[in-house]
Amino acid sequence: MTKFTVNDRPVQYRMDPDTPLLWALRDASNLTGTKYGCGTGDCGACTVDIDGEAVRSCQLSIANAEGRFVTTVEALSPDRGHPLQQAFAADNVSQCGYCVPGVIMAASVLLRRNSNPTDEQIDAAITNICRCGIYPRLRGAIKRAGRIMRGEERIAAAPPPGITPEEAARSVPALGRSASPPKRQP
Amino acid sequence: MGRAPRKQLDRGKGLDRRTLLIGGGAAAGLLLAWGAWPRTYAPNLAAGPTETIVNAFLKIDRSGQIIVVVPQTEMGQGVTTVLPQILADELGADWRTVAVQSAPISPLYANELLAREWLASDWTRLLGDAGRWAIDQYATRSALMLTGGGTSIPMFHDAYRDAGAAARVLLCKAAAARWSIPWESCDIQEGLISDGAQRRMKIGDVAGEAMAFDLPPILPYRQGQDGRLAGQDLARLDTPSKIDGTHNFAADVRLPDMVFASIRQGPIGDATLAGLDDRAASSVTGFLKLVKQDRWVAAVASNWWAANKALDLADPVFTLRGTAVSSEGIDAALEAAFSKSSGRRLYAQGDLEPVFDGATILASEYQVDAALHLAIEPPCATARVTEGGAEIWMATQAPGLARDAIADALGLSRDAVTLYPLHAGGSFGRAMDWDVGVQAAMIARDMGRPVQLLWSRLEDVIQDRPSAPARARMAAKVGRNGAIEGWLAKVAAPCAMTQTWARIADGKLPHEAAQDGAESANRLAVAGMVPPYAIPNWAIDHYPADVGLPLGFMRGNARLHGTFFTESFIDELAHLANIEPMSFRIQMLGGNPRLAHCLTTAAAMGGWQGGVAGSGQGMAAHMINGAYAAVMVEASMSGDRLSVGRIIAAVDAGDPVHPDIARQHIESGLVFGLAFATGASVSYAHGLPTRAILGRMNLPRLADIGEVSVEMIRSTADPAGTSDLVAPLMAPAIANALYTWTGQRIRSLPLVGTP
Repeated sequence: MTKFTVNDRPVQYRMDPDTPLLWALRDASNLTGTKYGCGTGDCGACTVDIDGEAVRSCQLSIANAEGRFVTTVEALSPDRGHPLQQAFAADNVSQCGYCVPGVIMAASVLLRRNSNPTDEQIDAAITNICRCGIYPRLRGAIKRAGRIMRGEERIAAAPPPGITPEEAARSVPALGRSASPPKRQP
Repeated sequence: MGRAPRKQLDRGKGLDRRTLLIGGGAAAGLLLAWGAWPRTYAPNLAAGPTETIVNAFLKIDRSGQIIVVVPQTEMGQGVTTVLPQILADELGADWRTVAVQSAPISPLYANELLAREWLASDWTRLLGDAGRWAIDQYATRSALMLTGGGTSIPMFHDAYRDAGAAARVLLCKAAAARWSIPWESCDIQEGLISDGAQRRMKIGDVAGEAMAFDLPPILPYRQGQDGRLAGQDLARLDTPSKIDGTHNFAADVRLPDMVFASIRQGPIGDATLAGLDDRAASSVTGFLKLVKQDRWVAAVASNWWAANKALDLADPVFTLRGTAVSSEGIDAALEAAFSKSSGRRLYAQGDLEPVFDGATILASEYQVDAALHLAIEPPCATARVTEGGAEIWMATQAPGLARDAIADALGLSRDAVTLYPLHAGGSFGRAMDWDVGVQAAMIARDMGRPVQLLWSRLEDVIQDRPSAPARARMAAKVGRNGAIEGWLAKVAAPCAMTQTWARIADGKLPHEAAQDGAESANRLAVAGMVPPYAIPNWAIDHYPADVGLPLGFMRGNARLHGTFFTESFIDELAHLANIEPMSFRIQMLGGNPRLAHCLTTAAAMGGWQGGVAGSGQGMAAHMINGAYAAVMVEASMSGDRLSVGRIIAAVDAGDPVHPDIARQHIESGLVFGLAFATGASVSYAHGLPTRAILGRMNLPRLADIGEVSVEMIRSTADPAGTSDLVAPLMAPAIANALYTWTGQRIRSLPLVGTP
């Protein structure tokens, strides 16, 4: 029962099979990038990719996820390198950031099918609710991500995680004398 | 392009150089001088072994990392980028080395500006400077850290610039001593100290010894425009974690052995827990316990969904004392308020009586429903309570008050409670209340293990503290030439900010706080209603009320209703006088060129057709604390469906530190204001909202947003708060637009019924 794949790993949840996928991801797998906003499928903060579809994970029980492939924002890219993540950074889209993982997941599904969507296609795919009002920048950022996917534009707007102090000091003259303890030898 | 040097601010606070130097020789415990009444506050910043505390706002690591300490709550408004930017600009830091850390609770971070706005009463106002001083002292001594009302930049701009300037001087002195040159010849750019010629030294290399030097009597500010960070669209410091899902909100905290809780607090009002079905709850997989208090019950389980399901099955029953809130009751209370003797004239100019006597008066009545916050993040807090004390992880706009309330609830001393301030997923004023933190702490103590309490969306809608519902009776006399000769606004409304204060500072229960304020007229309930227009005789009256619905702090606060009343009524008068609505406003703005410029700019950008019938165009304008804005919209109705095709905003908010974040504030306010105009409210019956589904609140989605144009007018004035600026303008602008489209004047909000 309730065996499926989350971010390329096989999982089996020892939870009530009626448990919505959202809570299995958040409270059992600690994949907290997927957010709870309403529990009624309206806001889209819990959007994940299931077999290439954008699905509101608060509306799908783990029983009904049996055998399927779930991808959360944590596995969208290993280094914030997904074109949407870079475009969101370059266009300064996020404000509070709570709805952003869900928006990015919904947009990633759209762009995988159609890297050159029209405004109407974007509007139809992104039905998430954002209360901060990132909407005025959203279509532009999604289209920019599409251009990156099509190879028409390259940006490096947000750095990857895990840069060591030594690496940072090599490109930033103001940095030096690492504060961190020396690396352990393998 | 060069930037004009900012003019020196009037420094009323009498900061002296010791104020800036609280970290130097921390072992000796340097004292802090504070204004005219010296008091001592020890800095309570924690520092790692390689970090040097420069002052309350800055630590520098030996590696060269600049750690800026920010007391203000990040809610998406970018304050954890803008305040560090001010400091880094004055210091001469490389932005790539700047980090930000939340401030601990300390009097050093009191927000006197918001405290003054909130707490100024008639007597403090009569006392003038002395009254202001008294509030400032109160705010400081009680560590009144507050975020809201667009006060963060005006309040802290100078403190961060001074902190950066002090650090720059000290670092230059330390480097100059090594080089044996006068420190005045040194400068810092991109994190490197130079001797004015070829030599360079990293900030981190002398940070440790810099604190031994003294500051000059007058702090020199950076000269020149080379390498300045102010005025640049720097990368927001919170962006990377917000695009990859790693940004930790309160519900994302994970502690060893932690369990999850959901809560029910019954209907709105004086409700107490009467009973529930213990056995049904225990049938849920993962269920652990029901934690019962007088006014709420929480279920605890190994995951949140199980906890919430257990609560559903437990089906708690509450006893409600007093009248159950209903929409009819709210309307009746507002109407009745107009005949109460507690109404008072709070603002007036000239003499209305002779103007109105025997004259033809245009009168209109308006109404605004209570509006919900509906931040996508529901209230949440994570708590761990041990014998040694309590730790709380939560987003709060009033961390000092939240900490005190948690300590009181647990019977602990304040020092035994550590509050870790987190960023809020929206809030919009909701996180001014701290109930969820207190509840989480009490549940955690009961469970003897860490607990994360998350309110369901249903609970959030029931227990929201919305903005005030309000009703206005507007009256005016227009002269033959179209000039307004008299203007009277009578407003019946509860004072949401007073209620909020009674809850969060005085610990009143929500229904008590609502009742307490029912008899006192308050300027905060009619804030912003003094007309910006040159009108010789006018008056603003407030009629207080208790509508049975506890109300709270909100983006825009009373301006949400006040601006709707003022800017709708002005539009009515313009049409009555048969004068084009923009010119009608402009002719009364001779003394307010900045607001006039916003209006003409918005009109020019939007292709203003003069507000003629069928144009679907409407506008509205106002100013808040040194920020000016005009909004023009194009709206239409087809059946019951309202659509807003274009939104144009022209804003003069001084010279912004981070222009693109200021622009985000405006875009955000426009969308928030659109939601307020069209939805974000519910009706009430039998003490409960009649619906709580987020998808049925008429909140705008992407498809509802057309062209949005924002023009930030260039200015050399000091930067003003912009987060609250334009949200109140959307409702009147749309109502005014719809009048030209339908010929019908809509005088109530929300403008359309919800589905």
